[in-house]
Amino acid sequence: MENNSSEVLLMKGNEAIAHAAIRCGCDGYFGYPITPQSEILETLAVEKPWETTGMVVLQAESEVASINMIYGGGGCGKRVMTSSSSPGVALMQEGIAYMAGAEIPGLIVNVQRGGPGLGTIQPSQGDYFQATRGGGNGDYYVLVLAPASVQEMADFVDLSFELSFKYRIPAMILSDGVIGQVMEKVVLPPFKPRRTEEEILRECPWASTGRKGGRPVNVITSLELKPEAMEKHNLHLQEKYQLIREREVRYEETLTDDADYLIVAFGSAARIAQKAISIMRAEGIRVGLLRPITLWPFPTQRISELAGRVKGIMSFEINAGQMVEDVCLAVEGRTPVTHYGKMGGIVPTPDELIQALTEKLKIEK
Amino acid sequence: MTEEIIISGFGGQGVLSMGKILAYSGLMEGKEVSWMPAYGPEQRGGTANVTVIVSDERISSPIVSTYDTAIILNQPSLEKFESAVKPGGSLIYDGYGISVPPSRTDINIYEINAMDAAAESGNPKSFNMIVLGGLLKVRPIVTLDNVIKALHKTLPERHHHLIPANEAALRMGMDIILKQ
Repeated sequence: MENNSSEVLLMKGNEAIAHAAIRCGCDGYFGYPITPQSEILETLAVEKPWETTGMVVLQAESEVASINMIYGGGGCGKRVMTSSSSPGVALMQEGIAYMAGAEIPGLIVNVQRGGPGLGTIQPSQGDYFQATRGGGNGDYYVLVLAPASVQEMADFVDLSFELSFKYRIPAMILSDGVIGQVMEKVVLPPFKPRRTEEEILRECPWASTGRKGGRPVNVITSLELKPEAMEKHNLHLQEKYQLIREREVRYEETLTDDADYLIVAFGSAARIAQKAISIMRAEGIRVGLLRPITLWPFPTQRISELAGRVKGIMSFEINAGQMVEDVCLAVEGRTPVTHYGKMGGIVPTPDELIQALTEKLKIEK
Repeated sequence: MTEEIIISGFGGQGVLSMGKILAYSGLMEGKEVSWMPAYGPEQRGGTANVTVIVSDERISSPIVSTYDTAIILNQPSLEKFESAVKPGGSLIYDGYGISVPPSRTDINIYEINAMDAAAESGNPKSFNMIVLGGLLKVRPIVTLDNVIKALHKTLPERHHHLIPANEAALRMGMDIILKQ
């Protein structure tokens, strides 16, 4: 693979994640193969970054081991990541909760497949609740980015690490089998070196980097037996989450200015919605799209603003209706909200979306 | 221009790699492209298909339900995708193993006996390039030059000596495709 950073390449979303990780100074990847994301580990194995940037790539014995390796690496201030698909990410939830409690940064990539349980290997967005509601125990969030293209798969790796270290919060890229498997054009991010030990000492004074110069001991744990201290820690986490809600909401709008109807969709569903919108616009029906890029924090305020201007909103997701709850919370009953989606690894087509939209929002042609 | 193409056949026929070379050829033309495989527990002899979109504009959905062109390489694929070709669109099929040929009258149907031609040429692996040549003849969405460039891009260097044979197969496909 050529290394000219401006060259337009053609690759799968999963491959783009691997190349982007090497290029953004990732220190280590720990993962276990599972369809439909195995190309991430495969690409790293082919590229052998341990011979170039020094990035560690390790196939762990399980997903539980992977996430705890992230806990260890992140606790040392290293940029480390794992990837899996839905049932594998389910196994990681305990470790993610521990990371959230101990304020350890790190990146988890979920290329979703249909569930529940082992489910199917075909695409799904059924892990929205798991990703945005914490998934593990206790009051916590992870920062969730939802890429809708191979380019965003590449771009969100560095962004995830930046935000994850800025707020000391686990970050998740919530993708799915479509965006993981599709090949599209991509321009890979420019190379940036891995951080030196000195840079980590300077930027991560909280990390367990070896006690030098008589600094106090850095203890990284999610355990605190004194309820008063634990409450204080929880209040600190909640303040941090509020700050993230205020600063880090990201979304993209398509043709919302004059829209009579609004689709809210993320990831691959947003791509299908774009096609449906272009077909409906050609028939004179003014439909727009709001695509949340961060699923947590959710673009509640913007959806609330748009709710006052449209006749109806559809949350279009490849699941039974999960994000629709967040849309309803934003809309507060001011305009009709409905959901359309499919489950079990079936991806709705643009035509099916148009039919559902027309029927459920009673659009007259 | 937007061309939405489904290529469907048996696993092992080179369906996915034909789609990949087509997508790369589109990239060489400076067009927008997407390549979306029906991934799964596929195996040699099972079914395999891929959706390739080549467009002058940004591609929205990589998944579509109707196609401008269908390239059909076995009977189950014909049954699945004949009805999904847009009226006025094209269907290209290899007659080998097809017991019930396509019957629609509102689309352009082409037959290419690539399986036989590949066997006769002594290079059965050139099958998918013969089919791709047939596509280029009837739907010139990318140029032959750009397909050759794409082969340089997609084939590992140790296989570059096979590019002339691939070019010959593409030209053969252009010659033998027949409109019904």
